[in-house]
Amino acid sequence: MAIREDSSVQLKKSSDSLDEIPTFNAENLQNNARIINYSRTFMSIIGGVIAGILGFTSLTGFIFYFIVMAITTVGLAAKAGFSIHSYFDSWNRVILDGILGGLLSFVLFWTFAYDLVHIF
Amino acid sequence: MGAGFFVGVIGVLILLHAAYSTIQYRTLLKITDEQFSGAPINVVIELIAGLVLCTWAALTVPGKFLSILPHSDENRVVSLPDNLDFMIFNHRGKAFPLDMDVKLK
Repeated sequence: MAIREDSSVQLKKSSDSLDEIPTFNAENLQNNARIINYSRTFMSIIGGVIAGILGFTSLTGFIFYFIVMAITTVGLAAKAGFSIHSYFDSWNRVILDGILGGLLSFVLFWTFAYDLVHIF
Repeated sequence: MGAGFFVGVIGVLILLHAAYSTIQYRTLLKITDEQFSGAPINVVIELIAGLVLCTWAALTVPGKFLSILPHSDENRVVSLPDNLDFMIFNHRGKAFPLDMDVKLK
């Protein structure tokens, strides 16, 4: 019968070994990705409404969208306490995830608000 | 859902009020036959306030971030197999390097 002596110490040793495969708590990883998606989608919609109200056209509107996304990225990084690696597997997930999907929602609400305020 | 949700609702209401005042401003411009060069300053201030409130709501309402590290204090259920009574042998840990310090009784 094999006995593991000092199981807590050996747990640390196995995690300090060089060829460790990083395993993450998958459910929490999914939860964090979902939170990022919700936040970005909501901010895209709000950004679209604001761009429509202010009457931005063509390039100015897209620049405004990327400014809003940059603000959201900084906000999300601050929410994670700037220690990204304990909540996500890479920086790209915080910075890039959901930007292109949010762009479509942004354009939809941008044209919607612009029509509402400036045309009708 | 707590305070964050109501902050978001207030932010959206401020945005709607800004939209309404911009519509009124445009009808005024149509009467005086001028071009729309930019939103009035109070609308811009309202929009910035609405953006700040909605940003705060977007960051707090969806929930907290949960730690994904397997050895952190919050993920205690993950360390359940360490207990001798609950050892599971057929799991992904067989990918870890074999620990040769285990003594045979």
